[in-house]
Amino acid sequence: MRSLPLFRLLQLSLRQLLREARSGELRVLFFAVLIAVAASSAIGYFSARLNGAMLLRAGEFLAADLVLRGSSAAAPEQIAAGLQRGLAHARAVEFSSVIATDQAIQLASVKAVDDAYPLRGQLKSAERPFAAETPGGRPAPGEAWVEARLLVALDLAIGDSIEIGRQPLRLTRVLTYEPDRAGDFYSLTPRVLINLADLDSTGVIQPGSRVSYRELWRGEPAALADYRRAIEPDLAAHQRLQDARDGNRQVGGALDRAGRYLGLASLVAVLLAGVAVALSAARFASRRYDLSAMLRCFGLSRREALLLFGLQLLLLGLLASLSGALLGWLAQFGLFHLLGGLLPDEIPSGGLLPALVGMATGLVALAGFALPPLAALGRVPPLRVLRRDLLPLPLASWLVYACALLALALIMWWLSLDILLTLALLGGGLIAAVLFGGLWLLALRGLRRLLANAGLTWRLGLGQLLRHPLAAAGQSLAFGLILLAMALAVLLRSELLDNWRAQLPEQAPNHFALNILPAEEQAFAARIAELSPQPATLYPVIPGRLVSINGEAARTQVSKESRGERAVRRDLSLTWSATLPQDNQLLSGQWWDGLPADHGPAVSVEAELAESLGVGVGDRLGFSIAGQDIEARVSSLRSVNWDNFQPNFFMVFEPQTLAGLPTTYLTSFYLPPGSERPLVELARAFPAVTLLQVDAVLAQLRSILAQVTLAVEYVLLFVLAAGLTVLFAGLQATLDERIRQGALLRALGAERRLLVRARRNEFAVLGAGSGLLAAIGCEAASALLYRLVFDLPWQPHPSLLLLPLIGAVLVGGAGLLGTRRALNASPLAVLREA
Amino acid sequence: MKASILTAQNLSKVVDSAEGELTILDDLSLQLGRGDSLAIVGRSGSGKSTLLGLLAGLDQPSAGEVLLAGHALTRLDEDQRARVRAEHVGFVFQSFQLLDSLTALENVMLPLELAGCNDARERAHNLLERVGLGQRLGHYPRQLSGGEQQRVAIARAFAGEPDILFADEPTGNLDSLTGERITELLFELNRERGTTLVLVTHDARLAARCQQQIRMEAGRLVATEA
Repeated sequence: MRSLPLFRLLQLSLRQLLREARSGELRVLFFAVLIAVAASSAIGYFSARLNGAMLLRAGEFLAADLVLRGSSAAAPEQIAAGLQRGLAHARAVEFSSVIATDQAIQLASVKAVDDAYPLRGQLKSAERPFAAETPGGRPAPGEAWVEARLLVALDLAIGDSIEIGRQPLRLTRVLTYEPDRAGDFYSLTPRVLINLADLDSTGVIQPGSRVSYRELWRGEPAALADYRRAIEPDLAAHQRLQDARDGNRQVGGALDRAGRYLGLASLVAVLLAGVAVALSAARFASRRYDLSAMLRCFGLSRREALLLFGLQLLLLGLLASLSGALLGWLAQFGLFHLLGGLLPDEIPSGGLLPALVGMATGLVALAGFALPPLAALGRVPPLRVLRRDLLPLPLASWLVYACALLALALIMWWLSLDILLTLALLGGGLIAAVLFGGLWLLALRGLRRLLANAGLTWRLGLGQLLRHPLAAAGQSLAFGLILLAMALAVLLRSELLDNWRAQLPEQAPNHFALNILPAEEQAFAARIAELSPQPATLYPVIPGRLVSINGEAARTQVSKESRGERAVRRDLSLTWSATLPQDNQLLSGQWWDGLPADHGPAVSVEAELAESLGVGVGDRLGFSIAGQDIEARVSSLRSVNWDNFQPNFFMVFEPQTLAGLPTTYLTSFYLPPGSERPLVELARAFPAVTLLQVDAVLAQLRSILAQVTLAVEYVLLFVLAAGLTVLFAGLQATLDERIRQGALLRALGAERRLLVRARRNEFAVLGAGSGLLAAIGCEAASALLYRLVFDLPWQPHPSLLLLPLIGAVLVGGAGLLGTRRALNASPLAVLREA
Repeated sequence: MKASILTAQNLSKVVDSAEGELTILDDLSLQLGRGDSLAIVGRSGSGKSTLLGLLAGLDQPSAGEVLLAGHALTRLDEDQRARVRAEHVGFVFQSFQLLDSLTALENVMLPLELAGCNDARERAHNLLERVGLGQRLGHYPRQLSGGEQQRVAIARAFAGEPDILFADEPTGNLDSLTGERITELLFELNRERGTTLVLVTHDARLAARCQQQIRMEAGRLVATEA
């Protein structure tokens, strides 16, 4: 016989596949891959689309999806490039200008917007100060919308006129909310919003004026990315691109963590998939030993037999992956349907990528876990047709595990794109598996001694585990991984939600007060104490510029476009404090009380800025403050929690260092709903103080966090459901031998009740062992993940000690369910089938 | 004299065991012509199945040579031996060795499909008709009785039109009446197709129907009857 051409083998394997599928033989492996791919692509789709929806929501903080910012107008070709790609465009121009009336003058921040502004979110305004706000609209030419505090400062009312440059404008509404103002509420002068059509006639903008031009863009993510790629290389020195992620720290942080959680959930799904495929692939192979020997008797060469099974597996994998991807795609529709009303109406589609990634996940897992047992099929000696006891020569077991690990590592790396995280998780997992495997074998040895005197139920049940200790350890490891994955998903969900709740407590500060004069500090603090249930800390603020680092000009020390460069280009808000501000953490150096007695002027610097400036503890920083030069030595580096709606500072000085310099105070505080009247009175009593309401921003942030929370909850449910399904499917794959043994025992006269008890004991012990492994592994993995990925503080979780119990109940229950049919059927039927 | 289809010369099989070397087969020679039938009889453990495995090229001897249809099996590697089996050899086993996931028809079709026959279905169908299972084509092995399963196995063995058929206790799992019918079928097909038959059996009546019998004891050939 000539060797078989590939096409014939393909034909044969397809035919064989269909026949075996019809007889139900391939069900377990097919469903393992199907579930794996369905879970992975459903989570992939869900997170991709939800991420898109949340970015869309977060885009409101920019009033656009992408902003090109610069100190002069964008080049016509930069605008044309965006319009060509079908992006929607709006323009806003911001500058400072003095608003004068007969009685007073006030520096204001003027923003001129065109008729397309804003591209995301809406402006909100009211008819009069502190009245109910309505969304939508923008000032028409000839009109101006202003913040209430400008009316208070200049003693104006709606309907009056102001002049900006040469252009008279009528005040028509009180501006209460701009979507893109959330990022920078302090150090602001009151806002005046006008129509871009009036800008030229003001005559305010001259060459050299300090103006910020913002080109706003909205469109499909692909088109935006394309636009970004097209213009990014040729940006002028003064220009910068911004998207929702860097638009707002609070939202960015929440989105990042949610994204990482969803990513982790996908990893967990992959892990579950791997376990399921591994269990059922081993069964696939062991049930084909006879067929393989038979085929060799028929004259198939080793290579052809291998190819035949390999092609069969590939076809099965492709079919199951395709169906799984489809199922995953449908499942995420279900999820979004459940979330209806909570999410924006238009949710980006998600594209083909999640489905492809899901399918690739299934196929790689199949290859990694199924190829080693498949290779064994090629080595089945043909003599097995005469002697059933002949098994294939075992492949070096390290090779099997190396294959599986490599597959797992590839997928995890692909999904997380983080080699360090992947290595940490896999390395940790490997060490845990080896340690646990050793412990389990030792425990089994101990059990063997105990068992000698135990009752029949226990001997029958655990005998199975003791007879194949390695297989028992393997199964326990597999179920342990499933439990671990589920426990990790639950654990992280709680920590993330707690963290978000802590970031935005019920009574998070919803007002900021700036420009509090030193003479008014006490009175203002006392007034706030009366109005607010929460104490408010007043921070001194002195504007100052960083001019030198270790005696060299600061501008020459920083790299372009870095945070450091932006920090030396503008005034920083400097403060002093005797104690370390709340929510700050000392990362290196000493706080004031730890410094030697004769230390000179000292400053504590926010760590990320310090890194960008290239300074560390001991370096000298020179500041220009109100015309005075002050040099201070960096005494410590701090981390700052930017998410907390409290005033935060890059530079904190020791109290006496800035003595005698002109200072104002800044605070944030909470006012309960319905405090409009006291707020107006507060503004009247302290006319110099600038009051900012951030309720709208808070509400928006809360709604985004609520969505993220919901998403995390749903993904968790999905992971748990997938975990349970895989647990059942995996158990099915290990039942063959147990079912046969049960039938034999029944044929020998064992009562059904005895067998049920024996199985229950066996699976409960297996489950408890798996639970113990899961508890240890989960604790180790969470410690790594918290530190490396989620940036959360880690504490031991005593509740994980429940896992052995949960494992015993779950695996015990699933095992009983799985063997029930065989226990109920006639032993003869089972023996004939086996 | 008929042309020889199978020749064994000085075959020995020695395996390592806990007690040292164990000789399973000791210096055995035989020769078979086309269309001949040979029964290998002996007690359990006498080396019958080992001999069958060596003659069919499923295993390699420690010493000696096997010539099957002109091929020196001992000089071929496993894949080359597989080719020889595909071309010349058929098997029938005591435990039938049907594939549970395939129907009777598909079990018989499998070797034909492997050989690339375009009319596999038709030939398998005819063979099953021939062994009296024309009504059971779509049944799975577990839906067939032991005798029926063995008929399927025989149909499968003859499907490839082998020159030589090896049967390992073909009636061992069957009652005597069914066993007799199976024996009848084997010999009918043997006559019809001129196939050489090599049987391992405990069944004296089955052995008696063969042209030659060899009796084995502790790996040695102790008697030959023709």
